[in-house]
Amino acid sequence: MSLPAFRLLRPRKVEQAVELLARHAANIQVLAGGTDLIPSLRQKLFEPKYVLDIRGLGELRGIRQSAEDGVEIGALTTLTEIERSLFLREHYSVLPEAAVTVASPILRNMGTLGGNICLDTRCLWYNQSLSWRKGCGFCIKKDGDLCHVAPGGEECWAAFSGDTPAALLCLDAEIEIAASSGLRRMPLHDFYTGIGDAYRKLERNELVTRVFLPRSAAGYRGTYQKLRVRGSIDYPLAGIAVALRRSNGHVEDLRVAITAVNPAPLLVGGVREALVGKALTDQSAMYVGDLAARIAKPLTTSALTPEYRREMIRVLTKRALMAAAQ
Amino acid sequence: MSDFSIIGKSTAMVDAASKTTGAGQYTDDLSVPGMLIGKILHSHYPHAHIARIDPSKAQALDGVVAVVTGKDAPNTYGILPIGHDETALAVDKVRYVGDNVACVAAISEAIAEQALELIEVEYEPLPAYFDPEDSMKAETDFIHQARPHNIEKEYHHVFGDPDKGFGQADYVAEARYLANEVTHAAMEPHSTLASFELDPHTGNLGRLTVWSSTQVPYYLQHKLALVLDMPMSQIRVIKPLVGGGFGGKSEVIPLEIIAAVAARATRAPVKITYTREEVFWAHRGRPRTIIDLKTGVKNDGRITAVRARVVQDGGAYCSYGPVTILYSGALLGAIYDIPNVAYDGYRVLTNKPACGAMRGHGTVNVRFAFESQLDEICAALKLDPLEIRQKNLLKPPCITVNGLRVQSYGLPECLKKVAERSGWRGRRGPAREKMQANGAWKRGLGMACSHYVSGAANSIIRSDMPHSTVNIKVDRDGGVVVYTGASEIGQGSDTMTAQVAAEVLGCSLSRVKVIAADTDLTPIDIGSYSSRVTFMAGNATLRAATEIKKLIAAAAARKMNCAVEDVVFSDDKVFKKGTTPSAKGVSAAEILETKDAPRGAASVSGRVEGQILRGSLQQKRKDEGPKDSLSFEEAIVSAIDFHGALTGTGSYAPPQEARGGKFSGSGVGPSPAYSYAAQVADVSVDEDTGIVVVHKVWAAHDCGRALNPVAVEGQVIGSVWMGLGQALEEEMVWKDGMLMNPGLLEYRSPSSVESPEVECIIVESIDPEGPFGAKECSEGSLAATIPAIANAIYDAAGVRLRESPFTPERVLAALRAKKQAKKLNLTEGVDPTNPQRLREHGGALWFRGRGPRRHALDHSRAGQPAAGGDD
Repeated sequence: MSLPAFRLLRPRKVEQAVELLARHAANIQVLAGGTDLIPSLRQKLFEPKYVLDIRGLGELRGIRQSAEDGVEIGALTTLTEIERSLFLREHYSVLPEAAVTVASPILRNMGTLGGNICLDTRCLWYNQSLSWRKGCGFCIKKDGDLCHVAPGGEECWAAFSGDTPAALLCLDAEIEIAASSGLRRMPLHDFYTGIGDAYRKLERNELVTRVFLPRSAAGYRGTYQKLRVRGSIDYPLAGIAVALRRSNGHVEDLRVAITAVNPAPLLVGGVREALVGKALTDQSAMYVGDLAARIAKPLTTSALTPEYRREMIRVLTKRALMAAAQ
Repeated sequence: MSDFSIIGKSTAMVDAASKTTGAGQYTDDLSVPGMLIGKILHSHYPHAHIARIDPSKAQALDGVVAVVTGKDAPNTYGILPIGHDETALAVDKVRYVGDNVACVAAISEAIAEQALELIEVEYEPLPAYFDPEDSMKAETDFIHQARPHNIEKEYHHVFGDPDKGFGQADYVAEARYLANEVTHAAMEPHSTLASFELDPHTGNLGRLTVWSSTQVPYYLQHKLALVLDMPMSQIRVIKPLVGGGFGGKSEVIPLEIIAAVAARATRAPVKITYTREEVFWAHRGRPRTIIDLKTGVKNDGRITAVRARVVQDGGAYCSYGPVTILYSGALLGAIYDIPNVAYDGYRVLTNKPACGAMRGHGTVNVRFAFESQLDEICAALKLDPLEIRQKNLLKPPCITVNGLRVQSYGLPECLKKVAERSGWRGRRGPAREKMQANGAWKRGLGMACSHYVSGAANSIIRSDMPHSTVNIKVDRDGGVVVYTGASEIGQGSDTMTAQVAAEVLGCSLSRVKVIAADTDLTPIDIGSYSSRVTFMAGNATLRAATEIKKLIAAAAARKMNCAVEDVVFSDDKVFKKGTTPSAKGVSAAEILETKDAPRGAASVSGRVEGQILRGSLQQKRKDEGPKDSLSFEEAIVSAIDFHGALTGTGSYAPPQEARGGKFSGSGVGPSPAYSYAAQVADVSVDEDTGIVVVHKVWAAHDCGRALNPVAVEGQVIGSVWMGLGQALEEEMVWKDGMLMNPGLLEYRSPSSVESPEVECIIVESIDPEGPFGAKECSEGSLAATIPAIANAIYDAAGVRLRESPFTPERVLAALRAKKQAKKLNLTEGVDPTNPQRLREHGGALWFRGRGPRRHALDHSRAGQPAAGGDD
């Protein structure tokens, strides 16, 4: 499968990049690590006239600590850098825990944090070649008007399949978005819509540039549990991130987020109410697992049956909590 | 043990450097002037008549040279003479999603792809069949008119008296096992480059040269001749480096024919390389199989009778189908002593890509069922799985009830060794409690055996021709050139050939050059399949080299004034028996070691050779009297002086006694020798998630003599790993004829992370007919891995998985059922411990939406509104 013909644009500055984005907004795709975009281009999921290669934007690389503000991570920071950062491992451990599970070492060398946040939603009926999709009947997400996984659906249920956003949600992350009109910041949990084919609130002329982790989120025990068939390479079939702070054997604060079972990564509600001030037991961990499973809506968008994946959200949430409490 | 200087020693593959540095050329690396790129239009329909094809818009696109369709080459072909049911491109109907409809040859891939979108095809959908048991009930719209009820082939074999055998049994086990479909997933996608020469007198198309990623260049030459109506002598097939085959390149694959048809139409070279998705459509892998198996035993575990009914979901074309279904029955024999066997095999056509040969051809799924059932019998009768196997061993030499001749038989030693090494007795049963229990993780050991042929004793095209022929030429430069038709596909064929020649001639490996798999240069060899190369091409090489050796010995005996029988070949020297070779004749290897050390001994450069030759001639003048030893060069020079030329030919045909019985279907299963394997798997099962982790596999393999131990280990480890894939992860997922996972992301071959440690134990039962006693080592080990893991899961967690692969959801469903936990629909209604039907995956809601246009009578549309819009 050949790549579609496009013009490659290679800005050196963020201002240039957003200007090019604005100019070609209708016909452009952003390439950061390229690990997801390139296969999608070959499958003709995108046929842009322009590809904006932002790898030259050096200012968007790297992890910077700031005294008041916690930490700032450039969107082009590779997942390998995240996984290896001693600072993140010490203070924001859930993030490197999640990063290390992404794909394979080679892909993590290319893949970026910004790319993982912006990752296109995935579905077995969508991530296929043009010929396959044509044969099957095009779906809502691309070129069609029906959904193969939801009966009579008007809505797209493609699953958000990034690992790190679940961890970032647990860390109250904010992201910076650049446009030719200027910069804006928003909490990551507002970034996702929960609709498979319009999964993020990012205009075509905008670029995710930085991620901020507040100081208040530092020092939590973090774990990430990922369901997959292979020990490497696979996208998550379910993912659970937990950030936990304890004092005197009791839960002082807690966040749980799930990914890969809905069109958006989601924070699990009600967990603080259930656990803060209490000791973490098998039973209370199981209760949180039930809370998480209740908001998980896995469908036949990927391998393994939906019922199994929902059950695993329950089981792995409990495990993640118990591991964080160790 | 080492009476040998080359064989029996671990040797790097002779082509290793070119592969590891990237210098080696695979078919897709090739390019010739004026070459066009071909792209194939595939059917979107599982079963439909082609009412009209209009390629005119595509033809008009700038950069497109030609569009070819079925009518450009309507002759039928197929790998089996009884199964010529394929055409280069669909002539009147398509039979699976992915079937070949047209091919565009253009100046670039992008233009060819663009042109595909412009070809107009009008289809009239027909009812399609996806489940083999439904397909067998079809009354109309057969996939091939000549195959009523869509049954490609059925066989009903009875050996001994099964009814009597079951009557004598104290215990009878009976169950249905399902094995889902797996594919080869070779690293290199198929690729073919076809180029015609122009006849210098007429300007018409003349000879055809085809470079292709194939395991069977001579079959390809044959089928090209059929389809193109050309004499075979006008067709040259060259096999460049091949990046793995595993059976997926062991027959003629559509692109190989299509590239030649397109080259003929365009009068230009055409290259086609499949995308990974096209590789999945071309497939020819292991079919989904339903196995109804019944085994009768005495209380002590002695088997009295076996009855098997096997249904294979063969896909839309014959391919190797009848061979697969015959192997499934025939190889119930030749491993254990089973006095009474009844076998009913059905190879069924369905509207899916054709299945064919895949590593362990025909045996793997039935072996999974058989070895699992043995374990179930052990559980019921409280027997040790090791002992039941020991109790049912053959007593070779013997001929089994179904006519298979067994001579060398290393299975007893394989069993003994894996049991010892794995600590079998100490770590099972009550002793298991002592094993580390870790929360939800349960640990256990499982055992299984398997075997395979060392080449089929009867070739696909029945004849008395040799299966392998090898020519050797030795010249004054001291080089030994071996010409063999055998196909190196990564398994070590070229290295084995070089080793055998060097061993016979007593020369170093660096002297031997192997020219292989080029139908113009090399004598015929029927190909790399059914694990036949070491046994057959090895024997042919042995015979050719022995012929050369005789010629050299005759001349050397004259020189050394001794009897021919007293001439010894060793260490690049030829000397009189009983003498120590003199230091005067310096071997090429030694010169290379001293003068050419930085480059190693891998190549003989012209400069060094010149010195050898001069040196030897000077020495000849100096030293006229009879001597006790000659250098290899001196011996060759004297032999050429004496005989005029030094060439040898050897060939191999399996002996008549090894070719099996006389009943219909008796041709498949017989082999001159069988390899044997026994394995123990050590696994953990996570009771909360159903995830299975394989910690270690002890794999004993009887390969006769191990010619190249490191290569044997590589093949055994590869087999275990491939078996692990089928056991735990790999599965082609179908939904109404659509393959849901036509890529290596969603078709999950194991990654290095979950690959277990494999302790390979080589068992050498020296075979009386193998070259130096060697047998096969590449396929026999695979089939044991799947049941070894199934049995280990049972040992660990007490659940019996009868449907492979044992994915987490299946294992968890079985575990929850056992614990009588709250029922969850984890496996879409199929009980993996008692599966009845093959399941269609990937969303039960397919046709709730509008979906693609399909025939109203499609099984998949039952209960759905009749017509589908195509909008």
